[in-house]
Amino acid sequence: MGRVILDNVVKRYRDVVAVDHVSLTVEEGEFVALVGPSGCGKTTTLNLIAGLLELSEGNIYIGERLVNDLDPKDRDIAMVFQNYALYPNKTVYKNLAFPLQMRKTPKDQIDQRVRETARLLSIEPLLERRPKELSGGQQQRVALGRALVRNPQVFLMDEPLSNLDAKLRVQMRAELKRFHQDINATIVYVTHDQLEAVTMADKMAVMSGGLLQQYDAPDIVYNQPVNTFVAGFVGSPAMNLLSATVEVDGDTTWLRNGNDWASALDAKRGAIAQSASTDAVIAGLRHNAIHLSPTETPGAIPVRIYTVEPTGDLTFVHGYLGDLLIVASVPPGTQMHPDDIVWATFDLDQMHLFDGVTQMALASEA
Amino acid sequence: MSSNYERTAGSRKRLDAWGIAGWVFLLLLLVFTVVPLAWMLSTALKTQLGALQFPPRWIPTNPTTENFRMLLDPNDDIGRRFLRYMLNSLWVSTATTVVGVLVAVPAAYAFSRFRFPGRNSLFYGVLLRNMFPAVIFLIPLFILMRNLRLVNSYGSLIITYLTFGLPLSIWLLKGFYDNIPVQLEQAARIDGASRFQAFIRIVMPLSAPGIVATAIYSFILAWNEYVYALTFITDDRKLTVPVGLQRFFSEYVANWPGLMAAAFLMSIPVVVMFLVLQKYFVRALTEGAIKQ
Repeated sequence: MGRVILDNVVKRYRDVVAVDHVSLTVEEGEFVALVGPSGCGKTTTLNLIAGLLELSEGNIYIGERLVNDLDPKDRDIAMVFQNYALYPNKTVYKNLAFPLQMRKTPKDQIDQRVRETARLLSIEPLLERRPKELSGGQQQRVALGRALVRNPQVFLMDEPLSNLDAKLRVQMRAELKRFHQDINATIVYVTHDQLEAVTMADKMAVMSGGLLQQYDAPDIVYNQPVNTFVAGFVGSPAMNLLSATVEVDGDTTWLRNGNDWASALDAKRGAIAQSASTDAVIAGLRHNAIHLSPTETPGAIPVRIYTVEPTGDLTFVHGYLGDLLIVASVPPGTQMHPDDIVWATFDLDQMHLFDGVTQMALASEA
Repeated sequence: MSSNYERTAGSRKRLDAWGIAGWVFLLLLLVFTVVPLAWMLSTALKTQLGALQFPPRWIPTNPTTENFRMLLDPNDDIGRRFLRYMLNSLWVSTATTVVGVLVAVPAAYAFSRFRFPGRNSLFYGVLLRNMFPAVIFLIPLFILMRNLRLVNSYGSLIITYLTFGLPLSIWLLKGFYDNIPVQLEQAARIDGASRFQAFIRIVMPLSAPGIVATAIYSFILAWNEYVYALTFITDDRKLTVPVGLQRFFSEYVANWPGLMAAAFLMSIPVVVMFLVLQKYFVRALTEGAIKQ
């Protein structure tokens, strides 16, 4: 297993920049997820690592080698595709054997490796079948097996779970994570589903518009998003982002949004809010940082309920705070109904503050 | 439950009405195509006298294979000429097919997979030829062939058939390559294949039905072509079968059984090819059209 280094990687298509000066290091044995909305450049980045696309600028290292000009076959990588890309005219056995054949491995070794891999993934009974005779989960495993069969330096995975149904996806997610731990593989994993990234990856690289927004462990990305994009993208339901102006009134710093609402900040947060480049800030509050109560309390802000979504262990309440639709969670069984007015208070300890102009996080909340 | 049952029953009935209409139509079509063929075979087995009998008979009174024997006998004068025509046709058609496939496969693959300057204009340029009736090109091509000193050569026909057949072959094959997911090649290249190996080992086997269909198409086009063969070839030893048959027609005008036997023999290679490869052909037509 080796590490992967991207050094100022750029991919341009004529005048469109698909990947814009991305630099990151995937350490040996790390599971890194590239996440972002469609068109953010994550798959392009993966294809650049694979060598399926040519770099416009920058350097890519796999292991200790500079691979900029190497063919995919010479990069010592394996890839799992979204549609699995199993060779439809070959049996499972031959699909698994193909990477070894192409590397001129002796026949008896091929047989041994194929059977070993099949055993590891519990696909031994399927070896003589063809891909179209397999279920989605089985195809997924064969695709994984074909990647695994030759001990590459790095595994590249392009949305490998997105073609599976919900239940199987959860199961395969656990299997993939276990697989990563068992063989200590270096994995670069592309997904648009931030939940997959959060649950499986050691680190996640959040991309948007070709730019790397944040690259850190999932809990840090979740708890300390560097800007409003990351804050809004990671976590489900998305973080509420409330624009406000900072007003200082004696010792107290207030966040105010026109006549809709105002909220007093504590001293620490007041100072952070005042460090913004202008008086415009954005307050970020996750669903569990907004408390809703049916009765009015001092300083509480009225919210008109739009809809109520019970999910079993939590109930999400969507409502209008002024003219902004926000979402908050309440314990299950709480009696709230559409068009009711309820009263919201903010949990200041869990409030993120962003500069209203630059959209960047203000100070650190640590 | 009951309404569900009724709905199925109703749709089945409607299907039956359409089904009957469909069968009737197909039956008419079958009669339309089979009767002339049957008549050809029947006449080919008749004697000269039997062919002129009135009223005509479907089953020959004295069936004879004499006509076939004559055509296939290299010692017979007519047989020698006919076999010569067959060989000429076989050579021209095979060469057209082989060269056509060799050119169409990489061309179609390139059009399907690569983005290069002028790709679109080139692609539609390739099709431009097919927007005009073939006859329009008869005189210009004849002059061209004369200047190239290719008149009375197989080459003139092979080149001409290629210019007609290639555009559609490329178009047909491109549809095939478009439907083969590019990830298969990418996977192969990551698994250790070069671009060329990925093409040969993964893409080629998957596009085999398309290649077979394209080959049959080029072969039949060349095998049946008449006008250009008539214009470019005057040397009797180099004539292809369609033109040769026409010579029979004028020289042995009364010999209907002989003509029919020759026509029958001429259709054999195409029929055999279809029977052997029809599995691929059907797959080609459906798979090329439907995205997975």
